[in-house]
Amino acid sequence: MSALGRNRGGAIVLYGSLSALSLAWLVPVATAFMISVLPLEQTHNGWWNFHLGELTYRNYVRAWHQGLSSYVANSFVITIGAVALTLVAGLLASYAFARLTFRLKHFSYFLLITTMIVPVQIILIPLLPWFRTLGLQSGPRQYLGIILVHTAFGAGWAVFMLSSFIADIPDELFEAAQVDGASQLDLFRRIVVRLSLPGIVSFAIIDFIFVWNDLLLALTLLDRDHQPLTVGLANLQSPHLAQEDIVSAGAMMAILPPLLLFAFLNRFYVRGLFAGGVKG
Amino acid sequence: MRAVSAPTTSEQARSAGRTRTGAKRSERRAAYLFVLPLVAIFAGFYLWPAFNTAASSFFRWGLLQPWKVTTPGQWDFVGVHNYAATLSDPDFWTAAVNTLLWLVVFPLLVTGFSLLISILIWYTSLGRGFFRTVFVLPMTISLAATGVIWSFVYNPDPDVGVLNAFLKLTHLNFSVHWGPIRFQTGEWLSNLGVIHLGFADLRLTNLSLIVPAVWAFAGFGVITFTAGLTSVSHDLVEAARVDGARARDLVRYVLLPALRRPLVIVLVISVIFALRVFDIVFVMTQGGPAQDTQVLALLLWQQAFAFIDSPQGGLAAALAVLMSLTLIVGGYPYLRALTRRSPR
Repeated sequence: MSALGRNRGGAIVLYGSLSALSLAWLVPVATAFMISVLPLEQTHNGWWNFHLGELTYRNYVRAWHQGLSSYVANSFVITIGAVALTLVAGLLASYAFARLTFRLKHFSYFLLITTMIVPVQIILIPLLPWFRTLGLQSGPRQYLGIILVHTAFGAGWAVFMLSSFIADIPDELFEAAQVDGASQLDLFRRIVVRLSLPGIVSFAIIDFIFVWNDLLLALTLLDRDHQPLTVGLANLQSPHLAQEDIVSAGAMMAILPPLLLFAFLNRFYVRGLFAGGVKG
Repeated sequence: MRAVSAPTTSEQARSAGRTRTGAKRSERRAAYLFVLPLVAIFAGFYLWPAFNTAASSFFRWGLLQPWKVTTPGQWDFVGVHNYAATLSDPDFWTAAVNTLLWLVVFPLLVTGFSLLISILIWYTSLGRGFFRTVFVLPMTISLAATGVIWSFVYNPDPDVGVLNAFLKLTHLNFSVHWGPIRFQTGEWLSNLGVIHLGFADLRLTNLSLIVPAVWAFAGFGVITFTAGLTSVSHDLVEAARVDGARARDLVRYVLLPALRRPLVIVLVISVIFALRVFDIVFVMTQGGPAQDTQVLALLLWQQAFAFIDSPQGGLAAALAVLMSLTLIVGGYPYLRALTRRSPR
């Protein structure tokens, strides 16, 4: 029992203010959710005046058929591709950064880390011509293009987080395996991949949320048929079009995947975020 | 390995040395192979474009005919003209003032709210997980979706928008005109008011965009502060209570010292966030009405991509370089702190 919790007045203030804040925090999502499950006419009389009988899932069906299905598919392709590539390339590199010595190690580490503060605008402008040169500007190749950019920009986070997990693995494990004649690749496969699994999971979640939620890169680099859900929402959002029902359904669909991922793997996520952040 | 080894002949020592340097060399070769994929992607899709941005900021070009390293025949070198033009452009200063407002208000609100919330949660004994979840979950929501959601909340019609309905119900809607300050509730996204400073006008409509960003971002602060607070023992606080310490003293002498490092992290990350803000402005107001909520990141994007037929590429590139330099110079101590932690 904590200090404030012990006296009754304190407890009332404590729980009262926390409940009020929670309510304020929940109202925006509740608003979007209610608009998404009510007919549009009802929304215009205030969603809070709803009757249970009016709840409907038809907005979602309509939104899905009016183009959201392709936005959702694109979001998944881009996000899963980018997370997978960043994870593989990032884990390989992190092993070298954490346990091996090589030339320009500190300098390249510093360059990688700059992606954590430099705005993405610094690469944005020449990317379209660069994609044209590489042949990544049209068709499904655009997926590859944006996945590579996400990987480049996630590289700093990947190395920062994953190498701190790898550095925590006891040296003895590596030494013992090396005495047994294991190659560097064996060490990586047998020890690093297995023992940094919590780090891998938490980085994957963070990167998933980051890539899934990107608007700027997708808006700039992709054509209409390859845009993800964030761009779809920005396209749909217009005060002059009375389509709050569809927009809100789209917003709920955009929220859900990262939210579920986070909720299921909350523990990993928090631990990973602080591998580098607070401790130390 | 044994610390004390039997004396060896010089022959053995030399061969041992040779294998050790051999091992070193093969380890180094392995290291290059391990970093190669990431470094190649990083060089091709970060360093190379960044170099292009920086170089092209000294030339005049438009997106229809972009500046290229490989076509020196088409270069139109203008020196620092793009930088001078950017710095003398009134749109730039409007966006700079609004971005500055973000830079000051956003970190303060994020820190204030998340600090308050985490301390309150730390005091609770019931429902801790629930409260933490409520405040942390918006972190996973994209800023595009956040903008959409809050546009519903802000709807100016009190029969439709929940915020105006609430103010109408509680009679809290008001407008003030007090000296240089004008403030009115109701039209959150078009006209919240203004503060005339003489040399510049602070458009309060920006606050309507900052609040949703705070809502989405406070979870990061809550996680960070909560992690800092786990080091504070309830026993210590209990002992202080028994000795007659007041709640205010507890916060000041026990909680805040434990929170110094998290405080720095939250402030730094939210300042970086504020300077880069784009999504929420793009979705909610597109920088409008007029240029009231324009920010640097959006101005840059509009210069580079919204008017493709005008030769403004160099201007946008100059702006990108200015923004990045500001962040690198300002964030350098933070970067140094991160690299000092670098493994080995």
